[in-house]
Amino acid sequence: MTEIPKVPKIVYDRLQAAQPVVQDGREPAHPDADLLTAFAEQALSATERDGVLEHLAVCGDCRELIALALPDADVASAPIAGETDTDKVRAPGSRAAAPAPRKLSFAWPSLRWAALAAGVVVAASVLLMRPGKLNQTTSPVSPQVATTAQPGPGSQIATSQNSQNASSPIPSPPMNQSVFSAKTDARRPESELPLSGKRKAVTPSPQVDPGMLLADNKQESAQADKLAAAPRAQAFAFDASASRAANETVEVSGAAAAETTPSAEGNLMARNEAPAIEKAKPAPQGTDLSGQQKASVAPTPAPSRARTATSAAKMAMPAMAFPASPALSRHVTWAITAGVLQRSLDSGQSWQSALRPDHPLLCYATHGADVWTGGQAGTLFHSADGGVTWVQMQPSIKGQQLSADVTHIDIDVDVDVRGPAEVIVFTSNNETWSSTDGGKTWDKK
Amino acid sequence: MPKPAQSGQPADVAAALFLYDRSGAAVYGVSAEQFAAILNEILHKYFAPAPNSPHSSPEQAQQMSDFCAGLRLEELALARACAEGNERAWQDFISRYRQKLHSMALHITRDGAHAAELADSLFADLYGVNARDGLRRSKLVFYTGRGSLEGWLRTVLAQEFINRYRKQKRTVSLEEQTEAGVQFAAAVPDPAATLSPTSDRTSEQRLEAATDEALAELSAEDRFTLASYYLDGRTLAEIARTLGLHESSISRRLDRLATGLRKRILAGLRTRGMSHAQATEALETDVRDIRLNLRSRLTQDSGAKAFPGGRGKVPAPDAGDTSHD
Repeated sequence: MTEIPKVPKIVYDRLQAAQPVVQDGREPAHPDADLLTAFAEQALSATERDGVLEHLAVCGDCRELIALALPDADVASAPIAGETDTDKVRAPGSRAAAPAPRKLSFAWPSLRWAALAAGVVVAASVLLMRPGKLNQTTSPVSPQVATTAQPGPGSQIATSQNSQNASSPIPSPPMNQSVFSAKTDARRPESELPLSGKRKAVTPSPQVDPGMLLADNKQESAQADKLAAAPRAQAFAFDASASRAANETVEVSGAAAAETTPSAEGNLMARNEAPAIEKAKPAPQGTDLSGQQKASVAPTPAPSRARTATSAAKMAMPAMAFPASPALSRHVTWAITAGVLQRSLDSGQSWQSALRPDHPLLCYATHGADVWTGGQAGTLFHSADGGVTWVQMQPSIKGQQLSADVTHIDIDVDVDVRGPAEVIVFTSNNETWSSTDGGKTWDKK
Repeated sequence: MPKPAQSGQPADVAAALFLYDRSGAAVYGVSAEQFAAILNEILHKYFAPAPNSPHSSPEQAQQMSDFCAGLRLEELALARACAEGNERAWQDFISRYRQKLHSMALHITRDGAHAAELADSLFADLYGVNARDGLRRSKLVFYTGRGSLEGWLRTVLAQEFINRYRKQKRTVSLEEQTEAGVQFAAAVPDPAATLSPTSDRTSEQRLEAATDEALAELSAEDRFTLASYYLDGRTLAEIARTLGLHESSISRRLDRLATGLRKRILAGLRTRGMSHAQATEALETDVRDIRLNLRSRLTQDSGAKAFPGGRGKVPAPDAGDTSHD
């Protein structure tokens, strides 16, 4: 690492001289533990974050507190993908999980070796037990190993776009000023019986084939259905209204998976992302998908057809229809699970697939609506609209292409430079690619 | 307490019930009304004026809606149910966080005995042992669900540790002070008594003004990065984890900041009437260094104040000792 240049002594003095602003002779108000925690977890809105940073820049006490309250480096860099309980899901902000890919960059090769070693051991044991039937016995093992290492191309993917059954025609009620005044006598329909006791966000482990896990979820769904009296419609939606910033309306719905026909081999994956996030095919701007996938969820009972798969995909939890407003973007949480980019609109309580390219993803970075994600074999995608549409990037310079595993991505926001933030892509072979124009041109170090 | 729902606002009721369902608060015996009151209290804290104010705009209502959707509702329900003394909530809390609390305390204190003491003390606070007016007041009522409950606990632990450390620091024994060599410290020079030529003072004022101006032009994040690295001595890794960035990004940012600051200060000095050579000289050789060193040397030599009563000021870090990696 290059040596950090020194600054003149006067800079030390002036930094030290800076103090929190004292108003009306009172002690300066320090951010409380709640705010500092949310700051450290990148869960604050841009305005709030700036406010906290303004304070931290001049308050040594709070800087000390923040530093002391940092989680252990090992804990902080533990991949979110491995977490299975809601209380373990951390890093609600997209950048909070930035250190994780460093761990993954080591983990993935070792996993590949582990998978290979496991395959060899199984093959050897089968060979020892049934030496005459090598070809027959090893064949079931091979595909499993292949899907573990590279779930994308090896798996059959069923895509479903028809989710009309899952969405209710009744629009979501907007909250009013006196929002949270619940009546005690408010009788909820039976379909709204609380499911909270059974809720947990399931994020599959990276060691497990996502296709297999989804199939497992479907099996579990039958039990969930028995428990729930009548599950409600579950869908996440971005409502495209004229007053909103986004033109596209995309429903990423757990109910969308309802239409997927399960494979006999259990290796089919229900692709529940919207068509706009198909590989390397950004949706045309202004395309309104709401005609077929209207973003509306109301507290009404869901059609029974949607039931099985909505609860089957346990990652999709009940949620409101939220507009894709800039204010919402701060609540979007990203994580990578088993090579698939997942998105949560409710601080990690429920997840949905946002991008599932051919090669497993390893890392991501976001800044506002800008989302970058990269993975094995030079896989690099960019979304400029918060994950609604994706464009595959193929950085190249002087005939050299980015082909190594992308292990980490940073978005460096330089306030001095107006325009797109600089994106820096780190690869497993220690290359550093950077672009300051949103990925049009690249520089390599 | 929030106002009861108006009959003409079924949407509000549905929204509140939806959040209530999502939180799972019913499991811990928290009623929908109680949960609504909790959310209203949180909204009241973060949104001024009061959320029930009739003057709230639709935009603010939407912001509130987004805000509530982003809260950690399940953990909020657990924390508030614990604060209310719900037995099942406490069972869940203990099974989830008791062990973690001890691990966190150990990470903060780096000492087993102190860690156990710190964690137990916090647990007592969370339970609300210190009753006032016969009422048990749990610290968990201050959790609002902005961040994770685990993160909040870690922050509260760190705060508690700092408070204890400062208390102990204030009551340090004379023997320890002697061991630390406090009595041999040079007197702190009084800036007011410092005699310096007017030109030096002017130069110093210009330097300070130019530096303040250059720093003010930076973003809060940049200033935080500078202060964390150069003042607090945090490592690149620590700063990177705090900001959610990669170490190399912090390294490049510091590189850019240090270079940019120098240029801006020089430019600021030039706009204040200095030539390029004068500005460079003023920046490189801080006149106060010479003056303070000379004064402290004179003070030590004269032996006029061998045992100063005042608290020794922390010496400004030398620019030569800034490498943390």
